[in-house]
Amino acid sequence: MKTRRSFVALSSALTGFREVDLWGTGQADSYLGELIATVGEDVVARLLAAGDDLASGDPAEALGRLLRDDELGPVAKNVVVLWYTGAWRPLPNEWRSRFGASPLDVGRVISPSSYRSGLVWKAIGAHPQGANGPGFASWASPPTVPSAG
Amino acid sequence: MGQSAHRPVGRLSEVADYDIVIVGAGPVGAILARVLGSAAVGSEPLRILVLEAGPAVGRTWSDYQANVDHYLGSSIKVPNAPWVSSAYAPSPDVLDVRPLTPDSIPDDNGYFVQYGPLPFESDYVRAQGGTMLHWLATSLRMVPNDFEIRSRYGHGLDWPVSYDELQPYYERAEWELGVSANVEDQEYLGITFRDGYHFPMSRIPLSYLDEHVAGTVDGLTVTLDGEATELLVSSTPQARNSTPNPGYRPIGAHGAEHMGLRCEGNSSCIPICPVQAKYSPLKTWGLVSRHVEVRTQCVVSKVIYAGSAPDAPVAALEYYSYTDGLPPPATPERVTADIYVLAGNAIENPKLLLASEPTPNDNIGRHLMDHPYVLSWALMPENIGAYRGPSSTSGIEVLRDGAFRKDRAAFRMEVVNWGWDFITNSPFSDLESAVDKGLYGAELRAEIADRVPRQFRFGFLYEQLPDPGNRVFLNNGYVDALGIPRPCIAYDVDDYVRKGMVASQGLSESLFAALGATEYTRYSDSKPGYVTYDGWPFNFVGAGHLAGTHCMGTKRSNSAVDSFQRSWEHENLYLIGCGSMPTVSTSNPSLTMAALAFRSAEAILDDLGVR
Repeated sequence: MKTRRSFVALSSALTGFREVDLWGTGQADSYLGELIATVGEDVVARLLAAGDDLASGDPAEALGRLLRDDELGPVAKNVVVLWYTGAWRPLPNEWRSRFGASPLDVGRVISPSSYRSGLVWKAIGAHPQGANGPGFASWASPPTVPSAG
Repeated sequence: MGQSAHRPVGRLSEVADYDIVIVGAGPVGAILARVLGSAAVGSEPLRILVLEAGPAVGRTWSDYQANVDHYLGSSIKVPNAPWVSSAYAPSPDVLDVRPLTPDSIPDDNGYFVQYGPLPFESDYVRAQGGTMLHWLATSLRMVPNDFEIRSRYGHGLDWPVSYDELQPYYERAEWELGVSANVEDQEYLGITFRDGYHFPMSRIPLSYLDEHVAGTVDGLTVTLDGEATELLVSSTPQARNSTPNPGYRPIGAHGAEHMGLRCEGNSSCIPICPVQAKYSPLKTWGLVSRHVEVRTQCVVSKVIYAGSAPDAPVAALEYYSYTDGLPPPATPERVTADIYVLAGNAIENPKLLLASEPTPNDNIGRHLMDHPYVLSWALMPENIGAYRGPSSTSGIEVLRDGAFRKDRAAFRMEVVNWGWDFITNSPFSDLESAVDKGLYGAELRAEIADRVPRQFRFGFLYEQLPDPGNRVFLNNGYVDALGIPRPCIAYDVDDYVRKGMVASQGLSESLFAALGATEYTRYSDSKPGYVTYDGWPFNFVGAGHLAGTHCMGTKRSNSAVDSFQRSWEHENLYLIGCGSMPTVSTSNPSLTMAALAFRSAEAILDDLGVR
């Protein structure tokens, strides 16, 4: 339980979406499971430990340090991509040669449901292409972008 | 069809298995099955068999939702992403296309064997419903001068039918497909409508982007090649459900009739409308008489003629009936009929004839055309609501005809609502670049929210002239899993089209400037469809508008079929589809194909003496 909460708390800080929005996608368990399967429990444990440190000290400074970290930075960035797109993107080749390549580290949409839950659509004031159609003539109305927070 | 000089074929004998066999259960097969299936001899319905190479699709709502999920779960959302093709009836895929070099030709990556010099980049779907499963649903009529290109501009071939003759069939096609448009928006360049005519549904509302572009562009005068034209952004006629006009009831999803009665703005018309508010031939199939027999997973491999004379009638079709996952069938089966219709697309129809003996009319397979499709893209100064609504709800149509067609291709221009999606893989690529720059949290959100909703693009579709060298042919060294030769394609884009690209580039730049937009167009010599003209580079892709490989004309020497799409050589054979178009001009061809299919259906009934 602690792991799930840590994952969502860190994801919230990284994505700019509230924890409740992330829980609301229904994807947290699926993403955490894919992450562990792809990069291993140890890497995920170190990533979440770095996330837990956010509470103490300056979060911006800690997040900047995390994203610049050779091992954890690319993983953290992929977590952001995962939430925003519902898809895993392969880690950089340099990361794979230094920290180990996983056969699961291939580009893939996690599921039709994860694609529908991609945050990028919400961030731009649209809806996932192919799902959640906002209704007849919705495209004629002035666009709005929901504010963060 | 009183003017048909053709001798009625009649019911040759009761010995034939069927009155009519139709090859292909796509849009043409569906329309023919609908019309012919409701005809009868006395009280007996016509005996009709439809053979479809691919699988059945969308028989039920949940069946169709599996295709939707297949699309949503695909990493690369290309037009064929939702549609699963069989190993025994493969479909070409845009992901198969690679740049061609003299050393890589022929390139047999995928289903096509590409002989170049440029790759043919369009795909299609071999399945019940055909490629109109993934069409955009743009339903423009051709302009009257498009039927007279040879007489007016000195290229190609005049059509053996005029706009006026085709008009009533355009109406039938518009009502069959369920086209949403207002007559007053569609009267340009000589296009006329019958007094009192209305489309089945009123126009699809313009997008916020359309209105924004129209607000600046309408009334601007551009001078291209010395001709001044006042620009107008027009609502595009679209076969997707809108507000019905009197006398029309929208048709919902196949197997879920209350779904899809209006377009819901799912923004995925290509490749799949999840609610089926967009027309697909599945809707027509839902209305076909149950007396029509449809056999899917039956690949027709050969036309068997009654003798070796070049004008021998067709005696039978040979086909393989397969089951996915099982070994290929060892021997083909045969079926006989009084009338045979090839209703495949402009590559599958000639492929079948070229695989048959005797060698067909020399026009078969030649004059392959498409609409080379070029994009230009930019960022608006403010949010224009990208990624909302159907892909394109308006366009500039007034540049589709003019004296300039003596020298360069006409084009139509789409205003596109879906940002830069398949050009740059947006919005995902924008997100990834922002993340890779080190942005996160609120700053990341703000960056995406600022940039992506301002994306828009123009799409240009150019008329490609019939060139006998652009062709489909066979090489027995390349066969599919059933041993059937795969289509070999020689394809190029000539200077006529390239000059059109230069003209459109100038237009695009001036429109971006007028809109205060910042252009981001970048063409790359590493893309498969890379061409230049006078030092101007372009990337084109295929529009999926395959046409021209069994062109219709006024005589045997200039064409493969007559104006009813009946083979000149074989009196009981019809070749129906976009392959019959002598020229492709600038309108997306499906509506015209459907109109021609209605006209051919009447000719077939006349042949059988049942009208």
